This record gives sequence, C-alpha cells and structure tokens, in this order.
Amino acid sequence: MEILSSLADGFAIAATPTNLLFAVFGCFLGTIIGALPGIGPVNGVAILIPIAFALKLDPTTILILLSCIYYGCTYGGRIASIMLNIPGDASSIMATLDGHPMAKAGKASEALAISAVASFIGSSVATLGLTLFAPFLAKAAIYFGPSDYFALYVLAFAMISGLGGANPWKMLLAGFIGLMLSSVGLDPGTGMARYTGGSFNLYDGFDPIVAIVGLFAISEVLLYLETATHASGSLVPMGKAIPRFREMLPGLGASFRGSLVGFVSGILPGAGASQGAYMAYVIERRFSNKNNTFGKGDPRGLAAPEAGDNAAAGGALIPMLTLGIPGSGTTAVMLAMLVSLNIQPGPLLFERQPQMVWGLIASLYIANIVLLVMNIPLVGLFTRMLTMPQWILMPFIIIVSFLGVYSISHSTFDLMVMIGFGVLGYIFRKLDISLIPLVLGMLLGADMENNLRRALSISNGDFAILVQSPIAATLYSLTALILLGAFALALLKSRRERLDTTEVED
Amino acid sequence: MGDRILGLIIFGLAIWYGWTAGSYEASFGDPLGPAAFPQMLSVPAALLSLFLIVRPDPDPSWPEHRRLLSQAATIAVLVAYAFFLEDLGFVLATTVAVIALSRLLGAGWLKSATSGVLMAVGLFVLFDTLLGLPLPLQPSFMG
Repeated sequence: MEILSSLADGFAIAATPTNLLFAVFGCFLGTIIGALPGIGPVNGVAILIPIAFALKLDPTTILILLSCIYYGCTYGGRIASIMLNIPGDASSIMATLDGHPMAKAGKASEALAISAVASFIGSSVATLGLTLFAPFLAKAAIYFGPSDYFALYVLAFAMISGLGGANPWKMLLAGFIGLMLSSVGLDPGTGMARYTGGSFNLYDGFDPIVAIVGLFAISEVLLYLETATHASGSLVPMGKAIPRFREMLPGLGASFRGSLVGFVSGILPGAGASQGAYMAYVIERRFSNKNNTFGKGDPRGLAAPEAGDNAAAGGALIPMLTLGIPGSGTTAVMLAMLVSLNIQPGPLLFERQPQMVWGLIASLYIANIVLLVMNIPLVGLFTRMLTMPQWILMPFIIIVSFLGVYSISHSTFDLMVMIGFGVLGYIFRKLDISLIPLVLGMLLGADMENNLRRALSISNGDFAILVQSPIAATLYSLTALILLGAFALALLKSRRERLDTTEVED
Repeated sequence: MGDRILGLIIFGLAIWYGWTAGSYEASFGDPLGPAAFPQMLSVPAALLSLFLIVRPDPDPSWPEHRRLLSQAATIAVLVAYAFFLEDLGFVLATTVAVIALSRLLGAGWLKSATSGVLMAVGLFVLFDTLLGLPLPLQPSFMG
C-alpha cells in the first residue's frame, strides 16, 4: 500500500509538463542514439550529462531525461541489429542472430514490431521489479554506519570484478587506478593538496564527468578509426511500415521468459545488459529450439534477447539507486551524474529524496508506453537514420563532447583532461580492461576515504572497528567469497586454455 | 606485450604514488591523516600490476601503421581544437576541426567543408542562441 501511494506521488511529479516533455524528448533521442551504430547508450548518456548540467536543469528532471534516454537506447539498439546486421550497441548483438535473418526473408517490419513489443515487456517487467524491490532493499540498508559503508564499497569492487566475466585481475586493477585518481586534489579532511604537481587546475581533482566523456566518447572515436572500413552493411528493404497486430504475437511467451532471465542478470552488479541478452537467448534456445529454427529467423530467438536486454537495463538501476553500485557502463555514468549533483545514491536516497526516486520510477512507466507507441509507427524514420555516414556522426560526437565539457567549466585544461582520458580509455579498451571499475573508483574514492577516516575517528585509530559491526563482517565475508570464486574460476579457465594450446601445438 | 608495458608503467606509478603519500603529513584532523588511504591503495595496485607483467593476456591486434597514423592525427586535431577554441571563436575553430576530422574519416573536400560549416553554425545557434550556453563567437584578435 505504501508503495502505491509513493508511486502515486511519483506520477504527480513525472506528469508535470517539464518532466513529461523531457521524458518524451529523452525517449526520442534515446531511440536514435541506440539505433545509430557507433554511438551506444554509454556514449550517448556520457555526452549529454555535461550539457544537462550546464543548462542547470532540476536534478529530478536530469535523472528522468537520462533514464528515458537509457531506456530509449535499449529500444533503438535492435533496429540496426535487424536492418543492418550491425548491433547498435553491445547488448543488441544477440538480436542480430534471428532478427536479421527474419528481415532478409522479407519480414523486416514484423521483426521490428515483435522486438518492440518484446522490449516493452522486458522494460515493464524491470520497472515493476524496480518498484517492488528497490524500496525493500533501501529499507534494509538504513542501519549502515561509516565502517559498513566502507565495507559496502569494498564489496562493490569485488562484485564488479568477480561477476564481470572478464579477467578479474584487470578489473580490480582498474578499480584501484580509479581510486588513486580520485585522491588527486585537495584532501577534504585537512585541505592538503595531493598529487596536484603544484598546479591550481588540479586542486579540485579530476571531474568524473569530464573523465567519463573522454573515457567513453573520445575513445569510441579512436576505436572506430581502426575498424572504419569493416562496419558497413547494406540496409534491408522495409516492406510495409506498419505491421498488423496479429503479426506481433509470436514470441510473447519468449519475451516473458527472457524478461525474467534478463532482470535477474541486470540486478547482479557487473553482469549488465549484454549478459542479460546473451543468457536470455541461450536459455530460450534450449527451451524452444525443437525444430532447429533458431538462428534462421525464429521470432522467439529475437524476442527473448530483446526482452532480456531491456529487463537487464532496467534491473541494473536497482543496485545503482539502492546501493550506489552500478551494474553496467551506462548506470556507472548515471551514478557519476548523481554524485556530481551531490546526491549520494544508496539507502538514504529513498529517505531523503523520495520525490526524485519515485518521480523517476513513474517516468519510466510513462517512458515505456511512449517508447512502444513511438517505435511502431516511427520505425521507418529511425531506420532511415541508420544510413547517416560515419564521417558526419563521429565529428558530431566529438564536437558535442567538447561543447558539453566546455559549457561546464569554460576551461581549456578540462578539455585537455578529457582528451587525455580518451587516450587512456582507448588503451584500456584495447587491452580488455573494463572502464566500469575505473569510473566507479573515481566516483567512490572520496566517499570511501571519508567513511574510512570517520570510522577511525570514532575508534580513535583502532582498525578493529572496521570489522566489528555484523553488517561489515558479513559484507567482508561476501567480498572474500566472490573474489575467491572469481579468481579460482579465472585460474581454472586459463589453465584449461593453456592445456588446449599445448594440445594444438602437439 | 601490451599488458607487460602497461603493467610496468602502473607498477612504477603505484610505487611513486605510495612514496609521495608519505610526505603528506597533517598535525591536526583525524587519526588517519591524508597519507594513509593512498598508501593503502598503492600496495595492492603495485601487486596487481606485477601480475599483469608476469601473466599477460595475449596481445590484441594493434592497428596497422596507416590507421595508427590517422589516430595520432585525430588526437592532434583534438588538442589543437581545444587550444584554439577560445582564440579563434567557436564557429571558425569548429569548422576547421570538423573538416579535418571528416577528411581523416575518408570524406571528400566538398562533403567535409559542407559538414564543417553546417555543424559549426548549427551547433552555435542551438547552444548559444537557443539553449543559452554562451560560446566564444569571434576570433579574439578581432574582438
């Protein structure tokens, strides 16, 4: 009951003309960003954050705008997958498997409609889950003291490193580098300048927003320059623009199954949306690939990963909002925005800023309906945008990135910092080092240090306080468990790979 | 190889980072002081980077020379754009930067020039005039 009245309050906030306008605008922009190959949700959101900042919008409105863009991207990503066989973003890769064969068989408009409905179901399941689970998690976490927060942050790094699926050593190292970068600037406790090299420009440290635009958007352009000629597909003819209602029905069951799988994987920090889509596809194939139709244009093989992708994207908002642990790149970027607005996500968010959280949740319901309505008739327009050449798109991304960063600070130094982080992001991505723990480290570093120092002030310097509370002790045991598991798995895997290669050599 | 080089760089940085932290002393404030947290970070960071040196992943495919050159040129264009944005004014600097970037992406002169002028003017109108985010308009030597 309490949830319903909070939700009603949320709808009152979401339905104000400004917020509604930004929600619809965000949906439209998000779909385009998602559809254009080469500019995924992370880049789109990262580029727009500084602009939203410079415009001095209300924090709730910014959060609504960015979340709607985020939801819109998950709708748009499938369009390029189906029409071009090029995923608009990483999480839409699975949609190419059955979506593109369908389009080639002359069923492009059906494929687009089925995937739009699947996206809607996935997002709706996730939004519903967010409504039910988020306040529950937040309530359980009110009892956190400084040492517990420190433990929670430690756990956050362990979860992202352990569950991310990539090399856990590299993930952890990236986290530490982020933490180290966050200590540049004036020390909040004593006002001492650390690692500034005597430069006044660095007294405020590295602005995470500036760093993020560089890490994601600029590095994306550098990466694109390598693959430039490979990624050009040819557009499949659309056929009729608006499909019949009956043609949207196959794949409904698959959508619901995919949503559940995706949602669970979205909640787990580190797993993220692309894992959600992948698992949804694999499970659906095992479940219904009776006549070996998967991979040849089976609507269920399109619906399941699409629903899974969207449900995971929505699910990833839960750990971000309730614990301050982002589950994906895009939620990490959104966390950066919240932190920069002086809003600390986590258990207290629901206590202190209920209007923001519930306004956001209500807008997501609205966004979902808007996206479904927008995506079925307007898909022709979005499809036409796919033909935009990269020599227009890439410079555009760069100039808008510069504009946003310049609008915040009017400083050439910040632009240089952005370019520097762009190069760093490129090197990290080439070497398969995830940027998410790096961003998380930069975001949580200051707060982690403050909580550590606060805890030790309470105990007068006795480190035992860090593990005395039962909450902290539990979190540390969880951390140890996850790390042990992840490293054991990684060792096993590399040993097996080594064995495989020696066999080949023999 | 890439992993090893990066590991070596990070190892050096981590040692320097922890070493420098030792010089941060404050006689007031909390018992931990400004040095402890960085020192706590430097040790595991150094250990993890050692791991990168000892057990590197197989190298990714690095770009061939021609592409590497275009990447370097792109970065040079970005740095120059950042430097001259205020001096040249937004419209002029952006036109030149977009033309250079489009050329690097393989577009012809005519296309690049059209896109440069349109993007510079369009974004100036959108940001400065419509959204009210002030941008430097004229080259400073004219102002």
